[in-house]
Formats: sequence, structure tokens, C-alpha cells
Amino acid sequence: MIKIDKLSCGYTNHEVIKNISLQIIKGSFVGIIGKNGTGKTTLLKSLVGLLKPFSGNIFIDDIDIYKIKKAVLAKKIAFMPQTMQFDFPFSVKDFIMFGRYPYMNMFKLASTEDFNIVKEVMEFTNVTQFCDRNINELSGGEKQKVLMAQTLSQKTDIIALDEPTSHLDIGSQASIFKILRMLNEKYNKTIITTIHDLNLAGEFCSHLILLDNGTVFNSGTSQEVLNYQDIEKVYDTTVVVKTNPISQKPVVIPVYTNRKQIS
Amino acid sequence: MGKIIFKFSLALILLIITFIYAMTSGISDISVLTMLKSLFSKVDEHTYTIINQIRFPRVFLAIVAGAGLSASGCVFQGILRNPLADPFTLGISGGAAFGASVGFVLGIATVSWIFLPIFAFVGAMMSICLVYTLNVKKKFDSNSMILSGVVASYIFSSAVMLIFAILSSDQLYSAFMWLMGNLSSFDERLLPLVTAVIIIGIIILCFFGNVINVITLGQEKASSLGVNTTKTVKYIFLLSSLITALIVSCCGVIGFVGLMIPHITRKFVGNDHRVLIPMSIFVGAIFLPLCDTLSRVLFAPIEIPIGVITSIIGGLFFIILILKPSGKITL
Repeated sequence: MIKIDKLSCGYTNHEVIKNISLQIIKGSFVGIIGKNGTGKTTLLKSLVGLLKPFSGNIFIDDIDIYKIKKAVLAKKIAFMPQTMQFDFPFSVKDFIMFGRYPYMNMFKLASTEDFNIVKEVMEFTNVTQFCDRNINELSGGEKQKVLMAQTLSQKTDIIALDEPTSHLDIGSQASIFKILRMLNEKYNKTIITTIHDLNLAGEFCSHLILLDNGTVFNSGTSQEVLNYQDIEKVYDTTVVVKTNPISQKPVVIPVYTNRKQIS
Repeated sequence: MGKIIFKFSLALILLIITFIYAMTSGISDISVLTMLKSLFSKVDEHTYTIINQIRFPRVFLAIVAGAGLSASGCVFQGILRNPLADPFTLGISGGAAFGASVGFVLGIATVSWIFLPIFAFVGAMMSICLVYTLNVKKKFDSNSMILSGVVASYIFSSAVMLIFAILSSDQLYSAFMWLMGNLSSFDERLLPLVTAVIIIGIIILCFFGNVINVITLGQEKASSLGVNTTKTVKYIFLLSSLITALIVSCCGVIGFVGLMIPHITRKFVGNDHRVLIPMSIFVGAIFLPLCDTLSRVLFAPIEIPIGVITSIIGGLFFIILILKPSGKITL
């Protein structure tokens, strides 16, 4: 279980997250939603140990994550950044192997176990067929899958992702989220992701956290969070919320209107 | 794995051939057998002087300097995540050139053999300290490091220009020749100390392959994999800068090796730094003595600056590699 206790954090002289307290139960699939600049990524970075809080604490299973070594934390929680530069043309296979770094020391070469895990995650994420290609030659969707495979090879119970599906087409978006869903259901991994697409969030996440201006506006199941009043208030635009006839999950549709704001 | 061992064995064989070629060619031709004999036991005074006192220190220094330059170039490209980085990106050459020029202008350079390398080394250290201080607060972020390196280069090279303006034409010529890179003016009394430090340094660098691989993924990802990037980059920067500073203060500014050898090596072994760093060391150790020998024999008895040879040969070779259609990995 992850416990966030009175967390305030941000960047030099600029507080973004303001006194947030919340709990994430083990095995849940959490989507963090909210407007641009509202602190989704900041919260996520703080949660994975990349941004030291101004005040407050974050506990994973009652261990304060800013009081343990980074190398230890790397075995508990994996983080997939939104963008990643591919400065060097590594092969897909080599690139995924870097996710095993927390389990190797400076001098050790990859063990048979490391190779087996890389093979396993490549099959799981469906990247085996292009594992010898150069990462710079892949399409956006393929790159994202490779990044995902690298994150999975870290073999952590908690996986945090920052906008894993931005810039992807609807099919690739779904395939990324299907992988996440399978990890969540089959292997009981805790998934925490920031996401802009409210419909994807509503469809795949078991729990949503709606942030507004650095605080939690609302949190709960997608039915509870994705109601038109809250969405219109937070996003400052008119929307219609319908129900997906198959999954019964809410669907948010933007509406063009001349009227100021419907309240 | 077998493939990698084969490549390393091949590199080792090429290194030995290069060593023999470099030791035996020159104005006075000496056979391989005489050369080997002379290395291990005294044959005659003349051969001893040429082989043991002139050629061996020079060839050995070329091997170590080539290895050191390409290792630090390779490491700098990795930690700065920039394929255009080389050992001199962070202003070390500028600092060394400044130190050496000060030595020339004070006339101290000609007083004793030890002063020029010391002045150059102090200059290089000055630029390292400058870049270091500028980056402590910035947490050794790659962009700020490159920027401060460029700033340091500009400041020092302007200072060098200033000094050149007041040098006499004799001093100017020797300063200029030093700047172009020169393995002949080196005094062999420095050899044991300098080469020992460089060899230990590059061996340590080889162990950083894994961590450099992770650092190339960017600060956030590396940090979430448990790497303290700031600290690691700082240590690697200091170590490879020390190696570069030592080389520059002994041989002057030998360009191209640190930039291109890692790239050439990438074409053969890929980008995994665990293999790339040691292999670059081998390729550099082959390339530099080869260039140095060519600089001695091509227009003998006139010696051309080694920097000219490295750039021309390396550049042409690199163009061939880029044009080769089967070259799978591009920059």
C-alpha cells in the first residue's frame, strides 16, 4: 500500500502539489487526471522518488521512500517517463536489458536470469519480433511498447507511468492499456498512471484521482469521478457524459457551445 | 559472447602488429629481430639509443595516449549524451594551451624539460575546476556542462590569442607546434608516472560501462533505476578529465582521436558501453601510434604534426564507413 501523507512538493520557489493526503491500495489501477499544469506529473515524480517533497511523507508499505537508498527503491517501484531521448542507437534487446540495472552491480554482467526476464517481458509486451532492431527506427507505438518492456523488466510490484499513451493512435493506446490491465489483473501489480484521455482513464482504471490546482478535487471509481459537473468545473469547458453501452463505463464528450458555462 | 572475444583478440593482434611496425620504421631501418633483442638486452649503443631511448618511449606514449583519449571521448559522449562530445568539449585543451602559452611567454618552457608539462597540466586543471564549480549547483546536467565547457574554451583560447600576440616569432613557432600535438618533445622521465596514472584511469573507466549505459537513458530514468546521476557523472567527469589533462600536458592537443575513435568503434561493436569503452581503448591504442609513425616516415626527415595525420586519415576512414551501404548503425 502507498500512503501519501500531507505531501507538498514542486520546483524551486514554486509549490505545485499542496498538502495532499491519499492512499493507494495494493493491486489497484489508478489514473491521475486533471488539467495541464495541475500537478499530475509532479505528484507522480514525487511518488517514485524523483522529487523530494517540501513537506510531508510518502510511504510504501510503511517505509518512507525518501529515507531508503535509491537502489532499494528501484526494486519496489518502476517509473516510465513520458518522453525519453534515444541518444544512442541501442538495439531493442540491449535497451530492455537496462531495466535490469538495479539487480546488477557495477561489475556484473547480465545473468541467465536477467536474460530470461528480458525474454519474458519481450513476449509479454509483444516486441520479440523486432528485438534486434535499432530503437531509433521504431514507430511511436513500438517505441512505447519497448519502453514499457524496459520498465517491466525492473520486476517491481508498483509501476508508475507518465502519460504512456500520448501521441499514440487509438489502437496503440488500447494495446498499451491492455498490457497494463493484464499486469494488474494477472500479476496483481499496482499501476499508477497520469493520463489526459478521460475515456481511456474511465475505461481501464479501477480508481481515478482528479487533481485541481495541486489538490485532490475528487477521487473514486470512474463512475464517481467522471460526472459532468466536476469535469466541467475542473476543465472549464462544457461536456456531456454518456455511458459506454458495452463496458457501462462513463464516456466524456466535449461540446461546442456559445454559452459561457453551464452550471 | 564468442564474437566479442574474437573481436578483442583481433584488436590485440592488430595492436601488436602496430607496435612492431612503429618500432621498426623510421629513418634508420631496424629489423624486427634486432628491435626485440634490443628491447630485452643491450645489443649495441646505436640501436639501444634509437630503440630503447627514442622510439620505445614515443610509441608507448602514443599507445597510452591514444587509448586514454578515445576512452575519455567515449565516456564523455556517454555521460553528456551527446555524440559530438570529445575529451576537449569541456575546455581542457583550452586550459592546457593557456598554461603552456604562459610557460612560453615567461620563457620558462625552455629552462627545464619539466616546466612545460607542468604549466599545461595546471592550465588544464584550471579549466576543469572552472567547469566543476559552474556545475556543482546545476547538478552536472549535460547541457549546462557542455555550455560551461564551451565558455571555458572561449575564455582560454582568447587568452591564448592574447599571449600569442606578445610572443616573439621563435617562441610563437614552438608554442604553435606544441599546440598542434607533438609526441617527440616529450621527456621520457615523465613516462612511468603519466602512463601509470592513465592506464589505471582507463581500467577504472571500463567498469563504468553499465552505469553509463543507464545514464544515456536520461536523468529521470537513470534515477528511477537507482543511479545517483549527479554523483556518478561528477566522478566520471573528474576521472576522464584527469586522464585527458595528463595526455594534453605531455603531447599537446591531439584532436580527432577522442571524437572519432568511439564512433568508428561503434560501427564494429555497437553501443553497449560495457564493450564499447574497452574496444575504443584498443582502437585508439592502435590508431595513434600508427598516425605517429606515418607522421615520422611520410615526409622524412620532416615531421608533420600528428594532429594533421589523425584528422586526415581518421576523417577519410570515417567517410568510408558512413558511405558503406551495409553500415547498419548510423549516427
